[in-house]
Amino acid sequence: MIANRVHDLYVLENLSDKDTPIHRLHPGVKILATFVFIIVTVSFNRYDVLGVVPYFLYPTLVMSLAEIPYKLLLSRFLIALPFCAFAGVTNLLLDRQTAFVLGGAAVSFGLLSLITILLRAYLCVMAVFLLIATTPFTSLTRELRRFHVPAVFILLIEMIYRYIGVLVDEASSMSIAYKLRSVDSKGIAMKHMGSFVGQLAIRSMDRGERIYAAMMCRGYSQPTHGHPSHSGPSIADICVCAVLIAAFLLLRVFPVLHML
Amino acid sequence: MHMADALLTPAVGGAMAAVSVAAIAYSAAKIKKEDFTNSKVPLMAVSGAMVFAAQMINFTIPGTGSSGHIGGGILLAALLGPWAGLLALAAVLIIQCLCFADGGLLALGCNIFNMGVIPCLFIYPLLFRPIFSRTPSPKRSSAASIVSVIIALQLGAFAVVSETAASGIVQLPFSAFLLLMQPIHLAIGIVEGIVTAAILVFVHNARPEILTAAAAYGKTQAAADGKPRSARKVILVFAVIAAACGIGLSLLASSYPDGLEWSIAGVTGAPELAAQGAAADALAAIQERFSFMPDYDFAAGDGTGTSVASIVGAILVFAAAGGAALLIRFAKKSKRAKAQS
Repeated sequence: MIANRVHDLYVLENLSDKDTPIHRLHPGVKILATFVFIIVTVSFNRYDVLGVVPYFLYPTLVMSLAEIPYKLLLSRFLIALPFCAFAGVTNLLLDRQTAFVLGGAAVSFGLLSLITILLRAYLCVMAVFLLIATTPFTSLTRELRRFHVPAVFILLIEMIYRYIGVLVDEASSMSIAYKLRSVDSKGIAMKHMGSFVGQLAIRSMDRGERIYAAMMCRGYSQPTHGHPSHSGPSIADICVCAVLIAAFLLLRVFPVLHML
Repeated sequence: MHMADALLTPAVGGAMAAVSVAAIAYSAAKIKKEDFTNSKVPLMAVSGAMVFAAQMINFTIPGTGSSGHIGGGILLAALLGPWAGLLALAAVLIIQCLCFADGGLLALGCNIFNMGVIPCLFIYPLLFRPIFSRTPSPKRSSAASIVSVIIALQLGAFAVVSETAASGIVQLPFSAFLLLMQPIHLAIGIVEGIVTAAILVFVHNARPEILTAAAAYGKTQAAADGKPRSARKVILVFAVIAAACGIGLSLLASSYPDGLEWSIAGVTGAPELAAQGAAADALAAIQERFSFMPDYDFAAGDGTGTSVASIVGAILVFAAAGGAALLIRFAKKSKRAKAQS
């Protein structure tokens, strides 16, 4: 059960070693485009359903160009949805003023904002998932160096990302052992959490010492990747980036569907 | 407690990101001052991964039939010290955001502040360490962790409500949302506080040196700097930055309602406020002209004709997106079939 989460953690990254036009794009381009995309989609006002709709083209096209299975991303999105859906439904209940009448049915402002929230949630989550699914994790983190993220912090993110697998495995076997020793229990009893997680914590601290010793044996002295190891973006990459960002901004300033 | 992008505006997300980036940069600089070759970094990494794993373990809460999981801010700060704790927690939150969509990319600043900066940089030095550090004992460490976790979660929940209200996407009134969030997080805080206390007591009994070293870490650092009150100073600085960002950006946001200018300024990085103001006015005028819902009010307007055309347009966009996706798929499939034959 816990082990499934390990699979969930790395399944997106496993998609990132394909060879498609999207995967070949420079990671910096993808990071920048994703950021602009999210900021722009979120900057629409809360009733502006039509402004957001054209942005659907981006995740849909990227997903098919990068050959990412949409079912996987969609099921991931549904897991992330509940809180946004809850917030949207409160808007539906609170904001009942009629916005306009469409074919005899009154559409309330609350409904509009519910739809906007769901659309925004979909777009933002998909943009992030597509970034991860088309870019290997290390090229992503190394690219962060170009954005002046401290080297210690990057090293930390990379190490945590890799060690989550190891420690979740450990936690998972501990919880299986616990279940075998306790009949009829659904989870771990709260009174046992102290020794359970405490044990896990001490084991991890010890493991940290061993990892450090191993790193020293291999000649570690400073965080090694002070600079991105791969080359900068090519002219084609920069062009793609410029076109994408220009398209996002143009659609924001001239909302096409409003002009119909 | 993870906030999503969909419920935030760029102004609020950006302001909180600025605060969190400052906090992370400061903590990273603090760690850097320490010798890089000590075993701190792998220790931080494994502890961060441990908290990630521990968050997946659901435990049963006696008498309620429900289950909970730990958050881990105070736990990490207690094991690693405040600076390292914040860095590890921020890294965990970034990974959760990227791989599980637990909290959005734009919301990262908010999430790191609510769940990392508050417990590690505010609560830990101000509450946890004073209660804990005089003469460490199981009693003291459990009192420290219960009080700190509860207060940290209350402040975190308050921050979530404030950030959501400042964004104005959710229409639940501030007071109602607050009344909903604070009691829930009080209950969560009590449970999490007790569990954190139990974990720390266990660690304390087995390896007392881990906790005392972490508590001493920030202090010796401050003493070495010759600035004994540096923690308080830092907090003051952060509070001022946060207040300034909040006030400045909410003024910006309220004069330009939807934060478009903020996003454009973020993209171009244009620092000249005057020029930006002019550009913003022009954009606002354009936006006004093409706006589907000028001033959010067309209840009495004659917008029905345009709205039908727009809805048809929206449907066309979906159809185009789907059609293009199918086309690309088909093209790729036939290409592959050709390559195979």
